[in-house]
Amino acid sequence: MRLKVNGQEVEVQEGTLLLEITDPPHLCYHPHTETRGLCRLCLVEVNGRLLPACATQAQEGMEVRTDTEDLRTLRKTLLEWLALFTDLSLAPGLQGLLEAYGAHPGRWGRVPETRKEREPIRDNPFFLRDYAKCINCRRCVDACGEGIMGVWALTLEGRGLLAHPTTPLDRPLPETPCVFCGNCIQVCPTGALRPLSMEV
Amino acid sequence: MEKPSLLPLLDARLPLSEEKVAEAARLAGVPLAQAWGVVRYYPRYRGLPQGRLLVDDPVARARGFARLLEGADGTHPPLGLEALSPIHVRVEGEERYVEWEGRLIPFKEFRLPFALGQGNRLLPPEPILELDQYEALGGSVFLRRALKNLLAPEAILQAVEEAGLLGRGGAAFPAHIKMRAVARGEPPRYLVVNADESEPGNFKDRFLLEHHPFLVLEGALLAALAVGASQVFLYVRDEFEAAILGLENAIRQLGEAGLLPVPTEVFPSGGLYICGEETALLESIEGKRAEPRLKPPFPVEKGLWGRPTLVQNVETLANLPLILREGPGTWRQTEPKLFSVTGDVARPGLYELPLGTSLEDALQRAQGEPEALKAVLLGGAAGVFTRDFTFPLRYKGRLPLGAGAIVAFGKEVDLWEVLLGLAEFFREESCGECFPCPLGTAVQVEMVRRRERNPDLVHSLGQTLKGSLCGLGQSAYWAYQSLLEVEGAA
Repeated sequence: MRLKVNGQEVEVQEGTLLLEITDPPHLCYHPHTETRGLCRLCLVEVNGRLLPACATQAQEGMEVRTDTEDLRTLRKTLLEWLALFTDLSLAPGLQGLLEAYGAHPGRWGRVPETRKEREPIRDNPFFLRDYAKCINCRRCVDACGEGIMGVWALTLEGRGLLAHPTTPLDRPLPETPCVFCGNCIQVCPTGALRPLSMEV
Repeated sequence: MEKPSLLPLLDARLPLSEEKVAEAARLAGVPLAQAWGVVRYYPRYRGLPQGRLLVDDPVARARGFARLLEGADGTHPPLGLEALSPIHVRVEGEERYVEWEGRLIPFKEFRLPFALGQGNRLLPPEPILELDQYEALGGSVFLRRALKNLLAPEAILQAVEEAGLLGRGGAAFPAHIKMRAVARGEPPRYLVVNADESEPGNFKDRFLLEHHPFLVLEGALLAALAVGASQVFLYVRDEFEAAILGLENAIRQLGEAGLLPVPTEVFPSGGLYICGEETALLESIEGKRAEPRLKPPFPVEKGLWGRPTLVQNVETLANLPLILREGPGTWRQTEPKLFSVTGDVARPGLYELPLGTSLEDALQRAQGEPEALKAVLLGGAAGVFTRDFTFPLRYKGRLPLGAGAIVAFGKEVDLWEVLLGLAEFFREESCGECFPCPLGTAVQVEMVRRRERNPDLVHSLGQTLKGSLCGLGQSAYWAYQSLLEVEGAA
């Protein structure tokens, strides 16, 4: 099938995700998990509508734009908000994006309620849950549950800005079905879950 | 239902202990993690705020909110009581009461006063709570015809199409397109009545459910027959306890009269604004956190438990018997629409008016004077402030009609205080699933608090919220942007 990406004709196979033929930044999408369409960084304009490239299949005759001024504004702002509310110090990829989009988190002023104040949870000998760095992409929850392991040692806490992963009944990890397989650490994009061996 | 839904199992075990959560998860056949995610999502499982609570709606915000709060232990989200606002509720344990005329009335007994309803087509002059009353006024005629095969499913679809009925929940999507799509799907198919009205300023569905349950049910059953649904769920806002009891009573009466062709049940909602988003609503019935799904696929293809599902608003369905009675052509000439009119008008209430009525006429019906107003909030929280009183109230116009809320603000009202209430509402109600909405609504509160007018920041805010996964985030900045426009024009 043929479609247009930023004015250029492209020929692709049926079922191809727009993310595979365009190159927008993305955070929640991971090839091994089911998470997609949440971070909205990979939004592209398809025939005038905003659609996530990670969850949209190419269709005959689509006109896709990946880098309009509006999309740049959206990505820049979203990155600024992430930096404003979350500790991105262990997410070099995100810091690179902030630079690339000319982001200035400071322009939004002070925000009283942030994710940065959360204390790391050390409840097992293997890894740390540092939710000050968590952007709530849910990759870890999916990897633990439906996506990879089917263990269900992680779920979600709360709503809104402060929603983040937790364990069933908020128990320490050793008291959950967790088998310390490490899949959650593998898929975490921000260092919110990291091996204790990395701590000094 | 494919398997026992988790929410009723949890409801039955309130107040919850860890053992009870584990038991509910086991009975529902879901991982404990899922049950815990649900418990940590819906307010009623986390413990309701207790005491005397001020209902935080746009009218209360316009009446000196800080002073009103002094006599309260906290706030409660809007409850469709705007015509009576400012108003307090009292929560004691699991018992909830409305403070009204010096008395405490339990939620299960409290209905909006009937004097608040003005109309004649969708709103007959009296409440109709018994089937014989409904039938005496010509109700159930089309349901009876359909049951005797004198009214074919296709004839119902055809009438809805000819009438051009648009969804009354706010999105104004053509009803017949959804209905035909579901009718084409593989059975089993479902019908879900979206009765989770939680939008500040709106109380039209609440009124219909409380006073005209048979009209709503006849509409729902006609739609169910039209699309071949094998089950009807009424997803009703949990706080509308009197409406839930009234609907259950009406369902029982219809069943006894042999007028219930499709199994019909009431499902008390999760009690959050996001539960009215149609895919979040479906997740909620399935026993999950009420978080919107990615679309496509749309519910008409993959809805409840992956089956083709028609999700329609209460008022939309209530129009079906009327369309059949009047004939689609006649109905279409003066489409009735319910408007919740509140704020600085002498007679706040629910007004049934033909679409196309000007905002000025609507205000005057409620004895409000446009020249005495600073602005109107049209469409609720996901609405806009406007001073365009000549605006004809119809869908697809310049301004969003939403579900039909009109809140009038007098000259002395500080609209930024009202806006702050709306901004806080969105921040509180954001589910947190996608990124722009929880971040942007939190930023927005601070911007409104400092009365930020920088056009670059406001533009960036809007542009980014527009990218949210669902309508909640996408519309969260409309009121803000429109207030700046109203200010600029003043």
